[in-house]
Amino acid sequence: MKTHIFAFTLSIMICVTARAELKWDQTSIELHPTAADKQAIGHFKYQNSGSKPVRFKSVRTSCGCTAAQSQKEEVPPGEKGEITATFNIGERTGTQVKTVTVETDDPEHATTVLTLKAVIPQQLEITPTFVFWGQGEAPKPKTIVVRAAKDFPVKHLRVTSSSPDFQAKVEETGSGQFKIDVQPQDTKRPIASTLTIQPEDSPKIFYATARITNAPAIQ
Amino acid sequence: MVKSSLVRQVLVVAALALVPGLGQAIYFRDKVSWQSPVPASEMVAVAQARAWGGNAIWVDARPDDEFARDHVPGALSLNEDRWNELLPQFLAAWSQEKKVVVYCSSQSCNASREVARRLRNEAQLKNVFVLEGGWEEWLRSNR
Repeated sequence: MKTHIFAFTLSIMICVTARAELKWDQTSIELHPTAADKQAIGHFKYQNSGSKPVRFKSVRTSCGCTAAQSQKEEVPPGEKGEITATFNIGERTGTQVKTVTVETDDPEHATTVLTLKAVIPQQLEITPTFVFWGQGEAPKPKTIVVRAAKDFPVKHLRVTSSSPDFQAKVEETGSGQFKIDVQPQDTKRPIASTLTIQPEDSPKIFYATARITNAPAIQ
Repeated sequence: MVKSSLVRQVLVVAALALVPGLGQAIYFRDKVSWQSPVPASEMVAVAQARAWGGNAIWVDARPDDEFARDHVPGALSLNEDRWNELLPQFLAAWSQEKKVVVYCSSQSCNASREVARRLRNEAQLKNVFVLEGGWEEWLRSNR
């Protein structure tokens, strides 16, 4: 009797592991788009290694910035295919991790989470991207620090202010680092300026904002 | 006798089940969480954010089309698809004494965390909070 119970339990376990399923080449993909790329596309390849067809019930993404598409609705036994995940980079920076949740009618592997990681190159690190003065505050200069990435050498930076009410002076401090001193002419009225920061010989433009706020600054 | 044998069998089966479980735990130990971790102090519940009234600026981190469909009354759109264009508009409305409440579509979305992170780290703003449950929770609280 006890042997039967043991054998039955083991056979159930073996049957479960031997069921039809989608075998994924990889469920996690890391992409390294260039600074010029607008999209990062991951191809998640699979094969139905079982003896029964597998039907996709849904393919959902974790972000409106990512679209995912399956080539077919049903995958016959032995057939291969892929889910294509397209991540729209937009004006995102740094490492972005997006997921695609795939639901199938295979009860043993009903849900699979695919992970798309995109490492977006950051040519310039600008800190802070926003400087402000309270109304009536002394119009002293405030500093924005710009650091160039190692693989993006910058010799000169061109900085322009959209408003003549703010002056911006650039100074190279070495090792691909610059400081931008921003100074308002006065702080009597609420005004703002967009600072355009452009490395020499690069079409890429970066931005910072300077503003005199309505309220006095809180220390 | 039969009882102890059954216990032994259960233990054997449990041990067998543990093997793939352990394997999976080791294999996926470096798996990246797709949600940026946000300390509890930087999250805010809908009721609390509402209580801030006019002292809060609501920021909608969802894509343009979702914002156009509907949004929290008075919210400003700030998403990473058009960050450079939308950020100055947000900064023009920002003031130092106000709290910033960022939301996206639901608890599982990540856009609000990313926008809040950039406002804190890049623009160096203080008092930036992520709305718990996002737009879905806002709608639920209005029912």
